[in-house]
Amino acid sequence: MNRKYGNAKNLLLLGLIAAIVLVSGLMIPRFLSLENILNVIRQTAIVSLVSYGSAMVIIIRGIDLSVGGLIAFCAMISGIMMKSGLPMGLAMLAGVVCGALMGLFSGVMVEKLEVPAFITTLVMGQVATGLSLVLGGGNSLGGFSDAYVFIGNGSFLGIPISIYITLFFVILSYLIMNRTRLGTHIYALGGNEQVVRNQGISTAKIRYFVFAYSGVCAAVAGILLSAQMNTVHPQQGGTYQLDAVAACVIGGVNMAGGEGKVYLALAGALTLGFLRNALNLIGLHPYYQNLIVGVLLILIVGMSMYRRNKALEKSLIF
Amino acid sequence: MPKTRKWTEFFSKNGSVAVILLLVIFSSLFVNHFFALNNFALILKQAAIPSIACIGMTLVLMTGGIDLSLGYMIGLSSISVGLLVKTYGVSIPLSMLITLVLGALVGLFNGFCVQKIKVPAFITTLGTGFILLGVAQIISNGASINHLPEAFLAIGKTKIGLLNTTVFISLGFCLVFYYVLHLSTFGRSLSAFGLSEPASRLSGCPTARINITVYVISSVLASVAGILLSMDVNCAQPTMGGGDYTFQVITAAVLGGVSLYGGIGSVPGAVFGVISLKVINNCINLLNVPYYWGSAVLGIIILLAIIFQNAKGRK
Repeated sequence: MNRKYGNAKNLLLLGLIAAIVLVSGLMIPRFLSLENILNVIRQTAIVSLVSYGSAMVIIIRGIDLSVGGLIAFCAMISGIMMKSGLPMGLAMLAGVVCGALMGLFSGVMVEKLEVPAFITTLVMGQVATGLSLVLGGGNSLGGFSDAYVFIGNGSFLGIPISIYITLFFVILSYLIMNRTRLGTHIYALGGNEQVVRNQGISTAKIRYFVFAYSGVCAAVAGILLSAQMNTVHPQQGGTYQLDAVAACVIGGVNMAGGEGKVYLALAGALTLGFLRNALNLIGLHPYYQNLIVGVLLILIVGMSMYRRNKALEKSLIF
Repeated sequence: MPKTRKWTEFFSKNGSVAVILLLVIFSSLFVNHFFALNNFALILKQAAIPSIACIGMTLVLMTGGIDLSLGYMIGLSSISVGLLVKTYGVSIPLSMLITLVLGALVGLFNGFCVQKIKVPAFITTLGTGFILLGVAQIISNGASINHLPEAFLAIGKTKIGLLNTTVFISLGFCLVFYYVLHLSTFGRSLSAFGLSEPASRLSGCPTARINITVYVISSVLASVAGILLSMDVNCAQPTMGGGDYTFQVITAAVLGGVSLYGGIGSVPGAVFGVISLKVINNCINLLNVPYYWGSAVLGIIILLAIIFQNAKGRK
């Protein structure tokens, strides 16, 4: 029954994307042009990159509210290193390593101190934003090398580089989750922590990996974003926080943990991207967009929780 | 029991008091212009409004939840009271009442989602936060409203001695919620609910009602803070408060000793937490440290507070 229900949900998601694309395509003249579609996918790359990590964290029953801060902080680190003359690859690697370390720290706090994930990551996000303000001296950093801007805005074989990067990470995440023992353990940890412990599996290793991976995803997203804009803004994390969680939720990652597919988070991110693009093209003010995403978030989680509660009530004996 | 043991016990229970004392002593010694009556009055004035919001956050954190929409509620109530008073010319008491009712409705929605539909608190309030921000910006067209009526400003800005009426209003709220949290049945049940939800439900506490009431209180207190804040700066803004404000309030609550695992928290703790933050802010200003250090320092303080609190709890 569970499987059937899962498939129905996937179909619902695909239907939602198709409906948004079709309705917008009919109503908005420029919407279905190849240029616009590629543009939306390129912009969505940021949110989707973040959402792979967020999805894994949600699967182990946590949440990562630090991604907004990390997007700014890691990009700032690599930006500053590049400006001080280090080679581009090394600077970008440093940013990614910073993201991994910050994520790892959240993981340690959650595992060892048992601080709720939403508090830990909220605080880490604040620390990261604060540090990126301090590092940048309160200013943004701009004017990077052509090679860096090419990563953000260039294309290879007619397809933007950003799309290759996000595809690489979705495949990597898929392989981790579905083809390795670690992936199985991640799902198990979200399903029932006690059972995992009783099997003698180290929950610490799983947690550290998942939080660090989420940090890496956020770092890559932040660096890609700054390459697209050719600037690092110390508060560029902004709404990506909300969007990453919303993308996971729309993609059917369950807030109660243990189930969800990382590639469906990509589908969720695309849905959001096309939705925002359509709203933009209609000329609706950005004020309305966050409102609509907020409503969607509560509505979808509410619906899935409501269904889950009904199922739980049925299975309860007393 | 020897006298010294009593003191150590007092400080280990009220860490925030020790933090404030240390902060004040060090700042008085090392920061110029800190030890002055005017400066202390300023700190109290700055702490008054966040204290009101922090009490609400403390109650929510005590249930094991969180209210991420608090800062955005401040913005919405600010702009709504501004619009009602200035643009629509509604009488002052009525517009304040409408704003408080608005806050109560938002809180009711949050509480309903968390308690009845079991949407995790951080998701519900993250969502409502962005909804509130959107609504505030839409009804105001993104513009702020300046030059509010004198009679409206007088409620919060009249001086009594060195202090504003705001400080006394805040003190009133603290006393009321001291009673609610520490002396009433509701407070005891809230504590029990936070420590163990099933146990308190089985022993007959109205858990659903408690959980929803807490979110209503948090949002109403946020509206109060929004109204007072608009009086303070003589301006109603949709972006007042916001995510940073929420974070400050959470930091203050954690500094004030609220347990992130639920169940433990106090109103004096919340107030002292806010005052400590404001003392630190004050020192940052007096020492001419660039403003952008503020949020980094804030983040590191709360990180240390959490680690310290936990180390204490583990003993």
